[in-house]
Amino acid sequence: MSTDQSIVFIVDDDPSMRASIESLLRSVGHSTRAFATTHEFSLGEQPDVPGCLVLDVRLPGRSGLEFQQQLARSNNRLPIVFITGHGDVPMSVTAMKAGAIEFLVKPFRDQDLLDAVHRGIEIDRAHRAEATMLAELRQRFESLTPRERQIMAPVAAGRLNKQIAAELDLSEITVKIHRAQVMRKMQANSLPDLVRIVDRLAAGTTKP
Amino acid sequence: MIDQPARARDFGQSRPHAGENPPFLLTTSSPGRSQRRLAVCVLVVLVGALVVTAPFARIPLENTEALLPAYAAAVFVNEVITASLLLALFSVQRSRAVFALSIGYLFSGVMVIPWALTFPGVFESLGLPDAGLQSTAAIATLRRLGFPIFVLAYALLEDSGSSARVSHGSARSVILAGVAGVVAIACGSTWLIVTSDDALPGFMKDTRNVAAPWQYVPATAVCLYLVGLCVLWIRPRSVLNLWLMVVLCTLLIEIVILSYLSAGLRLSLGWWAGRLYGLLSASLVLLVLLSEKTTLYARLVRSVSAERRAREARLTAMEALSASIAHEVNQPLASMVTNADAGLRWLGRQSPNVDEARAALKRIVDDGHRAAKVIEGITTMFKKGAQERVSVNMNRLIEETLRRCRDEARLGRISVQAELDADLPPVMGSPVQLQQVISNLVANAIDAMTAVAGRKRVICIRSARRNSDAILVSVEDSGTGLDPKYRDRIFEPFFTTRSDGMGMGLMFCQSVIEAHGGRLWVTDNEPHGAIFHFTLPSADDPPSTAGATVR
Repeated sequence: MSTDQSIVFIVDDDPSMRASIESLLRSVGHSTRAFATTHEFSLGEQPDVPGCLVLDVRLPGRSGLEFQQQLARSNNRLPIVFITGHGDVPMSVTAMKAGAIEFLVKPFRDQDLLDAVHRGIEIDRAHRAEATMLAELRQRFESLTPRERQIMAPVAAGRLNKQIAAELDLSEITVKIHRAQVMRKMQANSLPDLVRIVDRLAAGTTKP
Repeated sequence: MIDQPARARDFGQSRPHAGENPPFLLTTSSPGRSQRRLAVCVLVVLVGALVVTAPFARIPLENTEALLPAYAAAVFVNEVITASLLLALFSVQRSRAVFALSIGYLFSGVMVIPWALTFPGVFESLGLPDAGLQSTAAIATLRRLGFPIFVLAYALLEDSGSSARVSHGSARSVILAGVAGVVAIACGSTWLIVTSDDALPGFMKDTRNVAAPWQYVPATAVCLYLVGLCVLWIRPRSVLNLWLMVVLCTLLIEIVILSYLSAGLRLSLGWWAGRLYGLLSASLVLLVLLSEKTTLYARLVRSVSAERRAREARLTAMEALSASIAHEVNQPLASMVTNADAGLRWLGRQSPNVDEARAALKRIVDDGHRAAKVIEGITTMFKKGAQERVSVNMNRLIEETLRRCRDEARLGRISVQAELDADLPPVMGSPVQLQQVISNLVANAIDAMTAVAGRKRVICIRSARRNSDAILVSVEDSGTGLDPKYRDRIFEPFFTTRSDGMGMGLMFCQSVIEAHGGRLWVTDNEPHGAIFHFTLPSADDPPSTAGATVR
């Protein structure tokens, strides 16, 4: 299994429950880290690998649901699988609306937990890939000169060199040179490629 | 419904004096201070009115015969209603005394009819055969002497134990027979009086003025009233007795005005004043009965709603309890399932990992024991009355609990201290329940401190002797403390300040401690946190307090 590059965090105040979940996840090859409280979890270091959090709803101190909100506020997008001893509908709705992967009522089927954890890790992996890609694109964008940035937008919008030259009061040949620079620096093979990259950058800046 | 008369009977027998727990019947409940005061006021007003009217008593009022039927009708209606209300009381209470009194009222009410019909000059226009001169006076004599005799019968029969009770099934037939008897006697005596006018004593000289033989009637009546008053006075004072005494007083005043102040002069001012007293006396018991009925009804409504509230509270507590049981059992159960799943997966791998599987199995064993402990605790909690109470060394119990909580405390970087009194006397109780109380309180203390930063996290458990017959255990924390506005509610079921809490723990603790005859309360810790204290009666002394509170 290709889970060696991931980690599952477990927060449950019941020592036996904690150990059992750890054992179950390790038996299928996950690496795990378990904590009794959310406070301990926040103190611990979070390695930069895809992960997932298995979180008990009923905890001493701050509850699981409150902790979910706190993570969201601090921009931590770690996927959360909730487990609870006494689940009710409003509680699960709150959790799922806030973006939880799954809401499992104890005792749960082991496969349900493993599936949810797997899904959580995949989602996190995708998030991370996306974030890495976006960072890469940003870096490329940063390498453009102001003039090149000025030209990239109308090019991506499909305007002709002639039109751009007229609008910016430049010669057509200058526009052509800048445009070639943009294509090279943004590592775009074609115009549609560039359009996609610009779209991604725009989406990434409006919706982090 | 069936046992209601029986219960009333029991009350009447066991507590005739209507002492600390009055049964709420007119005949058995004792009058309050305000009732006594009211009765005295009524008497004072009546005597005052007597004094005021006395000088004018002999002034004749002409042509007032027409008012007589109205007066008679009012008296008749009042007395018959009083009689029927008293009969209703009798059907509940089965007291012969009440029966005698109601028959007296019925007799008095029914006899008003022939009295008014034979009154000279009232019903001539109806074309009735002219009654003799003496008929009206004779009927009045029967009525006047009959009523106090019935009151006397009531006073003498009252409170003479179970022999004065009528057996259960016969109330209806007794009432029917009584009513029929009264009507028959009234009709028969009227017929006799009207038809044999000549044989009657010469009460009247003419239609207005009484003759010498009449003088015996008021004298006898006064004697009967006075005897009745005396008997009622020495009887246990009930609401009905009090007002019957007032009634007899008004009747006494009536006879004084009628026969002495107005010298028996019919239709004089004094005679009419006497009639008004008669009407008042006919209405008094009725008014008292009605007002008492209203009060009783209000009391009934209150007690029914109180009972309903109590039932709802019991239901809530039951729901809370079952939710707590579900949670307590579910926790180890869930852990067992997941551990078993993990174990199976470790064994099912291509190269089975026996050590991991063994560790999972070991945890299952622990969980099983944990669940069994919970069940055991619940069972002992339900077997409150018959549960096994053993001598418990609280210090050992506290140490044991702390050993179990130590891991959790260490996780929260909380230091746990114990200051235990080495000479602590043992207590009688259920070790499982008491241990659960301590571990609940410690768990609460740990919870209260997880959010604490910047100061030491300390839990301190103390045990000490309190007075000569009790011990005191306190659990101190340096946590966030109690919000004053929640302080009164923390022992309620389902009350919690945690968003995920069940609000069960403290309610459980309180019910266990109280079932052991102790008390649980909370105070503030200085400078931070809270202290939960509980007392338990020590086993050195006979556990009288413990026994009393175990239900």
